[in-house]
Amino acid sequence: MNPVDIRVAPREPWYKYGVAVLLFEMAVAIAVSGYSLYMTFNGLGGFPGKH
Amino acid sequence: MRGHRVEQLGIATVGFFWCFLMWFSTAAFSPSIAATYHLTIKDLGLLASSAIWMTPAGRIFAGWASDRYGAPRTFAAILAGCGLVSIASSFTTNYELLFVERVVVAIAGVSFVVGVQHVAQWFDAHEIGTAEGLYAGTGNVGAGAGALLLPRIFGTDYQSAFLWLGMIALVVAAWYLWRGSAAKTMERRDVVRRGGDLRGMVFVWTRYIAIALMLAYAMSFGLEIALNAWLPGYFARGFHDEILALGFTGVAGVQVAAGTFAAVASFNASLFRPFAGFMSDLFQRKGWTPLPFIAKELPYAPRLHWLGIALILIMLSMIGLSVAGLYGFLPWSIAVLVALGIFVSFGTGGTFALVPLLFPDRPGIAAGFIGGISTVGGIAYPLIFASSVNGHVGYLHVALYMFAPFILFYFWAARYERHPQEHGLLGRILAGLSSAPKPS
Repeated sequence: MNPVDIRVAPREPWYKYGVAVLLFEMAVAIAVSGYSLYMTFNGLGGFPGKH
Repeated sequence: MRGHRVEQLGIATVGFFWCFLMWFSTAAFSPSIAATYHLTIKDLGLLASSAIWMTPAGRIFAGWASDRYGAPRTFAAILAGCGLVSIASSFTTNYELLFVERVVVAIAGVSFVVGVQHVAQWFDAHEIGTAEGLYAGTGNVGAGAGALLLPRIFGTDYQSAFLWLGMIALVVAAWYLWRGSAAKTMERRDVVRRGGDLRGMVFVWTRYIAIALMLAYAMSFGLEIALNAWLPGYFARGFHDEILALGFTGVAGVQVAAGTFAAVASFNASLFRPFAGFMSDLFQRKGWTPLPFIAKELPYAPRLHWLGIALILIMLSMIGLSVAGLYGFLPWSIAVLVALGIFVSFGTGGTFALVPLLFPDRPGIAAGFIGGISTVGGIAYPLIFASSVNGHVGYLHVALYMFAPFILFYFWAARYERHPQEHGLLGRILAGLSSAPKPS
């Protein structure tokens, strides 16, 4: 492992794209969580597959 | 060495995604298989559990092999082997033979530790958390994608699905061999190859910090796979009346509701994992060390603190899940489950942001030990949940009687201010094997 001092090491160019991907994945997780929470109050009402 | 680090990260992530897809593809088609072969509930349970039978021992072996022979060869061998057996299983008409073939295909799940080793060989200390998080988190989505997409694409035709999964696995294997490169530099590759012997394996297995990380991963990933198997049944039984009150009717309706609620934990645990690695990098960059007892001077001390926080949060949210269940308020239970899934990702991402830094000369062996043994949690926790008299208090029992001691052990093992890898069992016999980075 490179013993570079992380507190002053510049971020690599790929890093910003990595952060963009992780933000997208977080958004998907939040959307799924929101949908499940919605379901606990309203059932499936209005969503595909209505039960 | 040829290649670029982002390309290597991409190859490892695609390979792992496809392996995860194959790993859980049997479960995605279990109703179709059950209908074809007239399986009983017991047979179905056996088929479901068989997916993780090979994982503990397989990951240990795969981790060692990736240090010894390099990640591209090891990963390609796993993809090609599992792919060929998957193709063979698509032509099988005997259930016993199909069962054995699917157990072999499930070996694809061991590929996780090979990719961890591969990524560790290409990324430096200041970006390892995000890189490992992106690899593991995105790859893990393969399990959810399989459950969601495979039955929609192939319907009940599981044989075509197994055929296509196997053929594409062969293509990915060829790509991995063609473009994959074992390490950023020859020096790094040689150091790791030399560390991959039996003595090096015994060294890693006996380090207190490695055992602490293994328990941390059992608290996070072990819990994640346990919850994947346990939660649908828990919601269907524990919140049956509440689900009916929401308008879901019949077995199929309750199953849809329970599955959707259960998926919250899985999705958050997988999709927040890159963020967990990013947070580990951020702790390191900012030098945050808020917890008592845990080392503050080590080059990677802030990452130890981040993982310690994650473990405490996992324990607290498990207690919260029991309390929410006992109150019987479904939305609260789901809200706690969202938090638990996120905290589990903090644990998984935090653990593998540390492993390559603690054992830089043996990343595969360490990943195999930590990522392999910990999966036993996937079998142990559901047994404890099921043995509780009240279905809601099983989480409390696991939190108090297992997670609390695990956390205490972690704090104890992470307290050394210099070279925690030097502390362990068989100290004199293994003296001199530590490759701990010197504090700068």
